Amino acid sequence: MDLNPDVFIQILFWGLYAGCIYILLATGLNLIFGVMKIVNFAHGEFLMIGAYITLLFLALTGFNPYVLLLASMPMVIGIGIMVERLCFRPILGTGKLNEIFVSLGLIYIFQNGVALIWTDEWKTIPSPFVDITVSIGSLKLPLDYLIIIILTVGILAGLHIFLRKTSLGRAIRATSQNRKAAMLMGINVERMDMLSFGIGTGLAAGAGTLWAVSGQVFNPYMGSIPAIKTFAIVILGGLGSIPGAIVGGLLLGITENIATFTLGGAWKDAISFILLIVVLIIRPTGIFGEAGE
Amino acid sequence: MERRRLKLYLLLGALVIGAFLPLLPVTNLYLLTVLILMLIFVIYASAWNLLAYSGQGSLGHAAFFGLGGYASSMIALNSGLSPCITIFAGAAFSAFVGLLIGLTCVRLKEWFLAMVTFGFAIIIQTVIVSMLASITGGWDGYAVPKLISSDIHHYLLWEYYFIFIITIITILAIRLILKSRIGLALAAIRENELEARAAGIDPVQFKLLAFTISAFIAGIAGGLEIHHFGYITPEIFGVELSFWPIIYSITGGLGTLAGPVIGTVAVSILWDGLNIFGLTYERYIIIGILLILTIIYLPRGLVSLGERFEEKREGVRDFR
Repeated sequence: MDLNPDVFIQILFWGLYAGCIYILLATGLNLIFGVMKIVNFAHGEFLMIGAYITLLFLALTGFNPYVLLLASMPMVIGIGIMVERLCFRPILGTGKLNEIFVSLGLIYIFQNGVALIWTDEWKTIPSPFVDITVSIGSLKLPLDYLIIIILTVGILAGLHIFLRKTSLGRAIRATSQNRKAAMLMGINVERMDMLSFGIGTGLAAGAGTLWAVSGQVFNPYMGSIPAIKTFAIVILGGLGSIPGAIVGGLLLGITENIATFTLGGAWKDAISFILLIVVLIIRPTGIFGEAGE
Repeated sequence: MERRRLKLYLLLGALVIGAFLPLLPVTNLYLLTVLILMLIFVIYASAWNLLAYSGQGSLGHAAFFGLGGYASSMIALNSGLSPCITIFAGAAFSAFVGLLIGLTCVRLKEWFLAMVTFGFAIIIQTVIVSMLASITGGWDGYAVPKLISSDIHHYLLWEYYFIFIITIITILAIRLILKSRIGLALAAIRENELEARAAGIDPVQFKLLAFTISAFIAGIAGGLEIHHFGYITPEIFGVELSFWPIIYSITGGLGTLAGPVIGTVAVSILWDGLNIFGLTYERYIIIGILLILTIIYLPRGLVSLGERFEEKREGVRDFR
């Protein structure tokens, strides 16, 4: 197979679409880390829950699944806020290992809670635009992928405006920059923890909805592979850095698709891990990360 | 002094129960299997706990568990040696890979270490089902020789005692390590790496050592498990097998010698008890909730219950 420019742009486009899902996941993870300084290992589970909530509301309302982002994201934000309040707040500051182990407990609870309700069979959400492609020159781009890219840009722009322009967003940024100083300025940092955890998980749920609608099959245990890829991105881009998450997500999405095309499908998942290990050996704090202590 | 004697009695009691439980008339084959798996997981959880003792929390210990199993069974199948010997060769291979993984992980702190070890188990699984599929049989796995040939009368009983002895040796060995200079160095690194370095301890060297020993012991446990079942599949690298030693160690008491033992016994009894009620998904949810509750309300695990009780009693005495 030769890599002529048309094919290359096609692959680049697929990579862009895959990258969008990863960007949403990684941005959420980094937002949570930025404010709370914890890594939520159950992040992939929120993606999975987002997909299942979309499935539930599709059956209930029959709306266009893209509209159901408006259901899955707010609901998971609510779940995330509860999880933060009940599970993470009591152990904040008691040691990083504890925070890791709490998210293990959450993985068990969510995976099997969902399996209890929906069984562990593979499910799909049919997209209403599945057969429609947009032709630009000799390129054929699936409409679904285009919508996902536009929606991701929209969600990220919304997040950007929220963090930059609103007082609540400023308070979140202040907390992530200096928790003590923020507290002294009268910011309720614990409320910011709850909020950022909620928004972070909500972004994961958005990724879950988009992932499911774009034709991916899902079951209650599918969250761990995207989660590991998100870790790869986060390490690549630096823990806590949102621009890093965007660049890392795009990089992984495109690399993955080029690898699938040139090396074969079996390498699709392996490539992110290889990337991860190489980055860790060369620069353990990530490309955009701050240097360690 | 009194407390030391109490500890000794408890230890002797546990040994006697361990030695005679399988001989009791109530112990049927099902119960014996449960006991064997319990012992294997005591070894596995102790291996994980040793690494945690040095402050390194691994989320992918199934990598070593599974590699020990694969290597041991490959050697046993190709050489015809008894699995009782090959498990140690398999564990050595697992230790070697542990050293290599340790080399990439040793500079990493908490989060990164957890993410990378989590990934490594999946990477090894991917390699085994895709690139090595011709040898490993892919997802289907292959049959492996039993630890003790099932032709022998009461083979399961022999198997139990063989594993029982290995468990005792493992725990004694870990105790020896923790009481030695190595154990002191590991604790120092866990508490404050900078100070440890100032005291002349090379953190990299000792962390690598902990990684290698832990991988070796986990490899033994993996070999025992697959030779017990007589079958191996790549499921052995799954997330669940990475999580079990963590759950056992935390429930029992992180960083203590008795913790993984008590935790494994307690959680296994609960797990198999819930099985009797026919709960499948619910069991995981219950274990998950218990894990979170333990971390929040009993951070030092079940072993700290006794100390708490004692403190309370002494507190009353002081008051008087």
